[in-house]
Amino acid sequence: MSSKPQALGSTGPMRAFAANSKKVSTELIEINENLMGFNKFLTEYYKQLAETWNEAQKKVNLKAPEVPQDVEQIEAFKRIWIDIFDNDFTELFDSKKFGENYGKLVSKELELTKHWNNITNVILQSVNLPSKEEIDEVYKELHSLKKRITKLEIESKKGSAKNEK
Amino acid sequence: MKSESRLDPKLVEEILKFNKNVMDAPKLVPAPDEITLEVTPHDVALEIDKARLLHYKPLTDKQHKTPLLISYALINRYHILDIQPEKSWVRNLVQQGFDVYMLDWGSPTAMDKYLDFDDYINGYLDGSVEFIKNESSVEKISLQGYCTGATLATAYTTLHPESVKNYIATAPVIDGWRDTTVISNLAKNMDVDKMVETIGNMPPEFMYYCFSVLKPFEQGIEKYVKFFKNIDNKKFVDNFLRVEKWLSDTPPIPGELFKQWIKDIYQDNLLIQNKMYVNNSHIDLKKIDMPIFTQVAVGDHLVSPECSMPLHYAVGSEDKTLRMYPTGHVGMIASSLSQKKVLPELGQWLLERS
Repeated sequence: MSSKPQALGSTGPMRAFAANSKKVSTELIEINENLMGFNKFLTEYYKQLAETWNEAQKKVNLKAPEVPQDVEQIEAFKRIWIDIFDNDFTELFDSKKFGENYGKLVSKELELTKHWNNITNVILQSVNLPSKEEIDEVYKELHSLKKRITKLEIESKKGSAKNEK
Repeated sequence: MKSESRLDPKLVEEILKFNKNVMDAPKLVPAPDEITLEVTPHDVALEIDKARLLHYKPLTDKQHKTPLLISYALINRYHILDIQPEKSWVRNLVQQGFDVYMLDWGSPTAMDKYLDFDDYINGYLDGSVEFIKNESSVEKISLQGYCTGATLATAYTTLHPESVKNYIATAPVIDGWRDTTVISNLAKNMDVDKMVETIGNMPPEFMYYCFSVLKPFEQGIEKYVKFFKNIDNKKFVDNFLRVEKWLSDTPPIPGELFKQWIKDIYQDNLLIQNKMYVNNSHIDLKKIDMPIFTQVAVGDHLVSPECSMPLHYAVGSEDKTLRMYPTGHVGMIASSLSQKKVLPELGQWLLERS
């Protein structure tokens, strides 16, 4: 009994958690590395927005240099402002540089989510709950079974219709 | 010392009125749950998993023989086609004497992440078509697809041309490489494999982001300024809130379906090149040989006309019609223009072929 101390804690959560704690540390280190990449693309994202904003504001200033004083002037100014800003931002969102950076930003965000999922899996395993991958397997199996059942139902209906004829 | 103010008194009045409107808004505006979006009476004729087939009750004594099934888009929900009595696409067609069905794809949950094109086309769409054929005792039906629903309906029509008498493609997403919208730019740069593997279904919040970059200042500022300015106009407020409620109701998109969608349509552009496959079946646009009516909106900033129009030229039909309307993506289906121009033209076209 005293020679196998690990067996004593085998049904509790801490043993399973301790066995996988290295995994948690590794994931946390990788999260840190990912965060650096994520911040790089996030900074670029806001830089692109800020630059576009500044350029659009310059265009507005050129087109409407006077401070509007009455209702009609404000309406006209608002229209110019919205048109220029919408045009410039649509041009940005439509550009290759925005698309590429945004794609990389989302990709880094997904990597962070993946690490977080991996840490959660360690915790789930420590309390004998299925991991995300295991649940996904169940979903996949259910989907495939549903398809097979539907196919069989259609074939059975066709068979019944033939027999009736 | 005399101080001189250059501020127009009318401007001060406007600002004060706007302020008052903002303060009064909670008293004048109903809560979202007080607004009912389904306006035309209907029954749920069929349920397949979470998808529901809606059957609209007739509003005329006589109905045209060929029933019409509407395949709504995958983004937001079908309510926009029945948003309010005066602008309802569905009600207009029912009032023209058509027997209208609509597919509500439902709201997929995490366990639906493996639903794909095959499930939607050969499962939900085909199941609905077969049900309608049986109910109406007809060999063929008329099929209309809207936006992404038209991509599904197009693929369906190539695979089951024997079941489709007439095909209507409204703002269909067909040629991803020609699409000039912001959505297409985001889609082309997406690591969709990683996205689906990591998060499963496409979350609604991501869709909100994609929509928020479309005309961000008109939609994000001007729209709400107009709303508060018109807070006393009951009709305006009702219409505004109905559309807002519809916009905020974005169900997730099943992961596998989304992956195929982004890859096959936007990244590899397989559909228009006749290189797309659904469950090993070839999607050949030339197999669409029945009468086809393609409706395109010139000001569509969600599906650009360049993305939709190639369908008209790619199909095998001899009886084909292409119409362009001076409106936007939603304006084509839920506006006074759609009631006065788009729907009467569609009704006439369908009537001649039903």
